[in-house]
Order: sequence, then C-alpha cells, then structure tokens
Amino acid sequence: MSALAPRIRAIPSWQITLGAALLVLGFLIATQFRAEEPRVRYTTLERGPLVATALELQAGQEALKARILALNEAITTELSGGEGDATLIAQLTDEHEDARLAAGLIAVEGPGLVLQIEDADGPLPPGVGEADLRVSGRDIRTVVDQLWLAGAEAVAVNGERIVGPTAVLEIGGSILVNSAYLTPPYQVAAIGEPGLYDRLTSEPGFARFLTDRAAGAGIRLSVAEPGTVHVPAYAGSVVLRYGRPEEGA
Amino acid sequence: MRRPGAQLAMTAVLLVLGFLVVVQLRAQSAGSALDARSTEELTTLVGNLNTRNDQLRAEVARLETNLAGVVADRQTGRSSVDKLREDVARIRAWAGVDAVIGSGIRLSVRGPLGAAAAADLLNELRNAGAEAVAVADVRLVPGVAISGEPSALKVGGTPLGDPFQISAIGRSEVLSGSLSRMGGILARLAATDPDVAITVTPLERMTMPASSFSLIPAHGTPTL
Repeated sequence: MSALAPRIRAIPSWQITLGAALLVLGFLIATQFRAEEPRVRYTTLERGPLVATALELQAGQEALKARILALNEAITTELSGGEGDATLIAQLTDEHEDARLAAGLIAVEGPGLVLQIEDADGPLPPGVGEADLRVSGRDIRTVVDQLWLAGAEAVAVNGERIVGPTAVLEIGGSILVNSAYLTPPYQVAAIGEPGLYDRLTSEPGFARFLTDRAAGAGIRLSVAEPGTVHVPAYAGSVVLRYGRPEEGA
Repeated sequence: MRRPGAQLAMTAVLLVLGFLVVVQLRAQSAGSALDARSTEELTTLVGNLNTRNDQLRAEVARLETNLAGVVADRQTGRSSVDKLREDVARIRAWAGVDAVIGSGIRLSVRGPLGAAAAADLLNELRNAGAEAVAVADVRLVPGVAISGEPSALKVGGTPLGDPFQISAIGRSEVLSGSLSRMGGILARLAATDPDVAITVTPLERMTMPASSFSLIPAHGTPTL
C-alpha cells in the first residue's frame, strides 16, 4: 500500500481527468443505446406519421371539447333569458341547471383528494410479468370504482370527467377515458365528504388493489389532499340515440 | 497538461461528451409515451381518436343548430319554455335521473362472477356504445359500483341474486357483437370463470329505471 501511494501521486492530473471523462462517455453511450432499443423494435415507415396523427387528433379533440362547453353555456344563457312566463322559465332554468349538474356537465370543486398512479420503476418482482409493471385500464377502473364505494361525488382522470357512459379503454399500454388518450402519470381527482381517503383505504377492494398492484407489482401510488379539488365538466355527446325519456317521467 | 497531444485528446473527449449529454437530454424530454407503441397499437389508437372526434364534431353541429334555433326564437319573441322542457328531459334521461325506454340487450349472468370481472363486462358494454346500463334494476350512474365477493355481489349496496340481469340500451347488434367477438370479454370469461354462464338476448324495447341515487353533489360546488 505504501508503495502504491507515490505511484498514484505520480500520475499526471490530466490523465485522471481524461480517465473520468472517458468513464462518463462510456456510461452515456451505453445509456443512449439502451434508450434506442424500444424505438428500434417498432421502427417502421408508418410509425412517425401515426404518432403525429394521434397527437394532432388529440389536440383537435381538446378544441372540440372546449367548443362544446362554450356552446352549452351559450344555450343555457339564451334559454334562461328567453320569452315566456317568467316564473315558469325561472323554474325550468333551475331544473336545467340541476340536470346539468347531475349529468356532470358543470365543473365542480370541493373537498377531496387526488391520487397519482404511475408505472412501477423498480426491478421485476418475483412472479410478476413485464406488463404487470404498467398501470392498466383495469387499475384505473378499480380506483374509480373504489372511490365511488367510498362516497366520492365527482371523479375525473387526467381531466376527463367520469359520467354514466364513460368507458376506460386500454390499447397496448395506452389508456383512453371517454376515448381521450391520457398521458401518464394518471391523476384521479375526486370530490367527496371530508375523510374520503380514510373511507377509501377501509374499502376491501382498495386494500386488495394496494396489496396486489402497489405492494405486489410495484405500481406507484401517491395521494394529495389539497384544500380544494377541481373536477372539470364532461364535454361530449349527451344524446340518446336508441333510448328516449319515459313518458311522464 | 502541457503536451499538445493530450490537450487535443481531452478536447475531443469533452466535445463528444457534451454532444452525448445534449442528445440524451433531448431524447428524454421529447420521449412521448407513444414512442414505445407498436404500429398496430398506434393504428387502433388513431381509429379510436378519429371515432371520438367524429362524435364530438356531430355534437358541436347539434349544439350549433340548437343555439341558432334558440336565438331565432328569442328574436321572434317565441317562448323558450318548450325548448327548456325538452332539454331538461333529454339531460335528465341521459344522466340517469329519469327512466329511459329503448332497444338494446339483456344479459343473464349465472354463477360466481367476481366484482372485477363484472366491472370488465360493464366497461365493455359502455365501450361498445351503451347509452344506459342497469344491473338488476339499479341504474349505473356515477357513484354506483359493483362490490363484494363472487356469489355475493352487490350493486350500489343492493345484493345481487343468482342469476342476475344486466340491461343495456344501445345498438343491440353492436353491443352483442362486441361482447361475443373472438377474444372478447365473453370468450375471456369462459376461460377464466368456467362456472359462470352468460346469455345475451337482444330486446326491441326495455325500460331502464331512474337512479335512486342523488346525483347532485352535496360537497362539490359548481364552478365556471
């Protein structure tokens, strides 16, 4: 050891610096190669335009949703200020507002929580497949259902309001809610009576989710309880094509 | 480091190093979740987004026509009472506040189906375009979910019998086709839950009950 120290001191400092730089260089080249792997696997001539089309359609969807919300507001304003029996119109305007609130067509805010769900990032646990490390459509549905059972009044996933006909669809690893493509991480916002998180954790289905998916597969789950949670309005079609209101309802 | 050769080597290494750091950072920030999807998955995704955008465009057109009608009524002094009533009825029926009559399918489920599998089945119906769904006469609305163990399921707190029925209003051939397609939910359930038997019956007319749940938030307040 005593013979080694003078030899190390004899190495010029530029050689040490160069050695360190080459080490970092090697690491970066290896990282770069690994990062390229999935893209190389799926590289075809069609992929580029498909990704661009998907992003373009998603942007178009946002614009259409904004237009729907604006039109709904304009119609409500026009109807409530329309001609006719003022008392009757005031009563119908209140009913209209209540119906829109019940349908999720109006944004709401109140006490609640926001759950963030992310893919597992650790090593593959024993007995767990690669696909199990990703947040699935079923995970999102489970969390939403458990929130309903815990007493949530309004729920949205990444800004998509959950309404009666909402489907949560999974294509490969991509999740669509109300046919809108969601980008991870997934944030589930829920409004409900204070104590929602305590009630959620006491639901057997949520406890099972924590055991199987969070502890078992490593899906990352975090919770925030801000003073006020915002749940946006549903922006989509509110039309029955194969049904109609029952007479005298 | 006085030797020019060493200085040159060092400069070259640092240049490559800097380039790679920039490339890596750019790759990280630009990396979208879509980059890891296969062509087939992207095609399905694009198809779904296209369908949804078509539906949204149709809704925009409907609302624009509606707004033009309402504005015209107002300008000509025509009463807006009928339009308001009609709109209230439409929204209440869609939301589940009121009962709905229509065509669709009825499923009879016999055997020990689990809550997660039942939720998958309901999700498939919604994905196939079901406009209103009820399980054993309990209308599925926000706030209502299936819970419990197989053979002791509950919907919105109401225990389900064996067998129990699921009713869905929508285009019956699309609904039943989506459930029974090759590799679809019924095929998957037959493999994972062999003791469960599900039959699908198209119906010309059925009544979907109104929800008994209050759909007006008690703790959430409307915001703009």
